[in-house]
Amino acid sequence: MLRFFGSRLLRAAVTIVMVVTFAFIVLRLSGDPAQIIMGADAPPEAVDAFRTAWGLDQPVWLQYFHYFGAIFQGDLGRSMRDGRDAIVLVMERIPATLALTIPALLIKLGLGIPAGITAALHRNSFIDRAVMLMAVAGFTVPSFVLGLLLVLVFAVQLGWLPSGGQESWRHAILPIITMGVGGAAVLARFTRSAMLEVLGQPYIRTASAKGVPWRAVVWGHALPNAAIPTVTIVGFMVGSLIAGAVVVESVFSWPGVGRLLVVAVANRDLAVVQCILLLVAATMVTANLVVDLLYGLLDPRLRNQPKRATGAA
Amino acid sequence: MTNISRRALFAAPTLLAMPAIAQGDDRPTLTIAVQKLSNSNTFEPPREQSNVGFRIHGLYAEQLVGTNWLGNADLVPGLATAWRRRDASTLELTLRPGVRFHDGREMTAEDVAFSFGARLFGTQGSSGAGQSTVLAGTATKEPPAEVIAVSRRTYPGLARIEIVDRHTVRFVNRSPDVTLEGRIAQSVGAILSREAFAAAPSWLEWGRAPVGTGPYRIAEFRPDTALVMEAHDAYWGGRPPARRLRFVEVPEVSGRVNGLFSGEYDFACDIPPDQISVVERNSRFEVLGSPINNIRKLAFDKSNPVLADARIRRAMSHAIDRQVLVDTLWAGRTVIPRGMQLESYGAMYLPDWENPRFDLAEARRLLREANYQGQPITYRLLNNYYTNQVASGQIAVEMWRAAGLNVQIEMMENFAQVTARTPGRGVRDWSNTSIFGDPVAGILRSFGPRTEAERTGEWSSATFNETSAALETETDLTRRRELFRRLLTILEREDPGYIVLHQAAAFTAKRKDIQWRAAKGWAMVFSQGNLRVRA
Repeated sequence: MLRFFGSRLLRAAVTIVMVVTFAFIVLRLSGDPAQIIMGADAPPEAVDAFRTAWGLDQPVWLQYFHYFGAIFQGDLGRSMRDGRDAIVLVMERIPATLALTIPALLIKLGLGIPAGITAALHRNSFIDRAVMLMAVAGFTVPSFVLGLLLVLVFAVQLGWLPSGGQESWRHAILPIITMGVGGAAVLARFTRSAMLEVLGQPYIRTASAKGVPWRAVVWGHALPNAAIPTVTIVGFMVGSLIAGAVVVESVFSWPGVGRLLVVAVANRDLAVVQCILLLVAATMVTANLVVDLLYGLLDPRLRNQPKRATGAA
Repeated sequence: MTNISRRALFAAPTLLAMPAIAQGDDRPTLTIAVQKLSNSNTFEPPREQSNVGFRIHGLYAEQLVGTNWLGNADLVPGLATAWRRRDASTLELTLRPGVRFHDGREMTAEDVAFSFGARLFGTQGSSGAGQSTVLAGTATKEPPAEVIAVSRRTYPGLARIEIVDRHTVRFVNRSPDVTLEGRIAQSVGAILSREAFAAAPSWLEWGRAPVGTGPYRIAEFRPDTALVMEAHDAYWGGRPPARRLRFVEVPEVSGRVNGLFSGEYDFACDIPPDQISVVERNSRFEVLGSPINNIRKLAFDKSNPVLADARIRRAMSHAIDRQVLVDTLWAGRTVIPRGMQLESYGAMYLPDWENPRFDLAEARRLLREANYQGQPITYRLLNNYYTNQVASGQIAVEMWRAAGLNVQIEMMENFAQVTARTPGRGVRDWSNTSIFGDPVAGILRSFGPRTEAERTGEWSSATFNETSAALETETDLTRRRELFRRLLTILEREDPGYIVLHQAAAFTAKRKDIQWRAAKGWAMVFSQGNLRVRA
C-alpha cells in the first residue's frame, strides 16, 4: 500500500512539474508580457523599463531557474498588472468559483447518476430514449450557448433572474444550472453504459436465478460494480472544481478563477497564470489520487491484485 | 396648551430637514456595463493610457486645461481659469479658486507642483537618469518605471514647475513648445491631492483610488468586477446629477446587451456597429456615438523584402476602397479623415490634403513597374482587437487580390506576436489616437524617434525624424503647417508607412428615457447639463 501510494505521489509531482514547465515555456514564447500589459501605444522606453524590472530581458532558462527557486521558498511570484502576490489574487477568487462549481457538481451527481441508472434499468423503453435524448442534448450544446439561451429566457424575456454579475445568490442560479446540466448529461451517459455492461454480466443472472429480489440485485451487485467508470468521471469533475468554469464565468461576468485565468493569459501575467495552473494541476492530481484509492475500496480484486497478474481472471 | 418636550424640540429641525434630504437622495444611481474597468487595476492616469482609462478618467480627475469632449474637443478652462505665454518656453496659469479635492482640501499650487513632480517622476525628476522598478510601487512611493517613461514622453521638455503664489504656477520648458497647453490637457497631467498621496502606504495603494477634483470620487473598486463612484457634492462645476455611478465589467457584448434589455444596466458601452440595429429594434433603447479622435490604419513593415519597394506599398494603398469599409462594416456611422489628421487640429489642419485615391488601374500599373510577381505578403491579424478588425482585414485582402496582390492572413493572438521581428512580417492593423489637437499628439506618437514604429523596426526615416524634431520645437504657425505637410508627404506618398482606413467610432447603448449625449472621444461625461432621467 505504501509503495502504491508512494508511486502515485511521485507521478503526481512529476505531472505538476511538467504542467508548470510547459506553461512557463509556452507563455514566454507566445508573446512579450511587457508589450501586452503596457499596450500598443506604450513608449518603447516604458516597455524596456518594464522588461528589465521583471527580469524578462534575461534568458528563459535563467528565468525558469529563478522561478522554481522561488517556488521552493513558497514564493509564487507577483502579478505584473498590479504588483500583488499571485497567490493572494488567486485565493481571493477561489470562493467565488467554488460557489458555482460545488452546487453545479451536486446537480451533476444528483441528476446525472439517477438518470443514467433509470435509463439502464428501462433499456430501450420510452424512459430510456427520453433520458438519453436529453443527455445528448445536454452535452452537445456548448455551455456558452446554453448560458446565453438561459439568459435570453430567464433574464431578458421573463425578467426572473439577473443576466450576470455576482451581487446576490440569485446571480449564481443561471451559471450553476448551465454547468450542472452539461455535467449531468455526461454522467447520465456514463452511468447508463456502465450499468448496462454490469447488468449483462453472469453474476447478475446468477443472483436473479437464485431468487434475490431485483432491487437487491441492483443495489447490492450492479451499482457497486458500475461505480468504477462513474467514479473516474466524477474524479475529473472534482479535479476541475477550481478552473472548470472558465467559459461560464466569462458568459455570466462572474469574477472567479476562470475569469482571472482568461485575463491573466490575455495579459501574459505570467505569475498569475502559473499560480492558477499549479493549483489546478495539484487539484486534478489529488482528485485522481483519491480516485485511484477509491478503486481499491470499490473493487477488492484491485486491492488484492498480485503484482504481475494483469488481465488474467 | 400643548406640551412640547425638549426631545421633540430637538427632533423638529430634523423632521423639517427630511424632505430636503430625500430630495438630495433622489438623484439616480446609474449602472454602466463596460468591457473592461482597468487594464492595470489602478486608476493612475499614466498606467491607463487607453480607451479603458480615457472613458472614466474625467469623472474623478481633471487637468488644468480641460477638453470640451461634448463639443469639438477644443481646449477649455479646467482647473486653471486662464493661461498666458510669458515666452515660447514658459506658460503661466491662474488656478481656479475654491476647488475642493474629494478629501475636502482646497487645491493649491502645491498640488500642481506635486502632480507634475514626485507623482509622475518620483525621485528621478523630469530629467533624471535612473529608473525605479515596478515592484517599488508595491512598497514605496516611487512610481513604477512605466509611469516615469510615459510622463517623460508626455512632457519631454519640462524643466520645472514654478509656484508664483497659492493660485498661480509657471510651467518652464527646456525648449520652445507651442503645444504645452495641449500636453497639460492630457490625462497624464491630472491634478491629484498631494496630502492623499502622502497619507497612502504605497504608490500602488494610492493608485487604486487617487484623490482628484472630478465630479465623482472613487468609492469602491473590485478588480475585474465593479467600480463604484459617488457624487462629489462640493464639485466646483456644480452638484453632479447622479448620486452614484456603478461601472460593472461585462466582457461579452451579448452580456452587456442582454443586461441592458433586462433592466440591470442603464448604459452598455463598447457596442460594435453590427449590434446597433439589434439594440434599436427595441423601442426602449437607443445607441449613441460618433467618430472619435482615433484613426484606424494598416501599417507596413518596410523591412519586408517585398514591401521594401515603396511602389508596392503605394499600390496597396490605391487598391483600398475606404468608403466600402465605412458603408458595409460601420453602417456609414464613421468618416474617412483626410490623411492622418483630424479637424480638431484647428489651425494645423490641412483641409486640402487627400488620401491616395481608390484606383485599381494605378495600383496595377505600380505593381507592373515594380515587377511584382505575386510574391506572398503576410498580413498578421488579431481577432477583433479593433472593432470589425477581422471582417475589415478580409475585405482588404480581397481588394488587394483584385489589384493582383497576393496577401495572406496569418491570425495572431497578441500584439507582441504581430510586431515580432520574425520572417514574414508585412502588414498589420494599428490605430492612432490624437490626444490633443495637434500633429505632435497624433502621428508623432507612432512614427519618429523613440516611437513604436522605430522600436519594432517596421518603419524609420532619417528625413522624417529631422522634420518631426523641427515640428516639435517650431513656433511659427505657417512653418509648422509646412513641416506637417512634409511629414504627411513622406509617410503617405513617398515612402508609405501606412494606409489610412477611417476614423474609429465608439457606440454606447442606453435607456431612451435618460437624456445624455455621447462625447466625441472615449470619455463619458456625467456632469451637470449632460444627464437627466425622465420621470
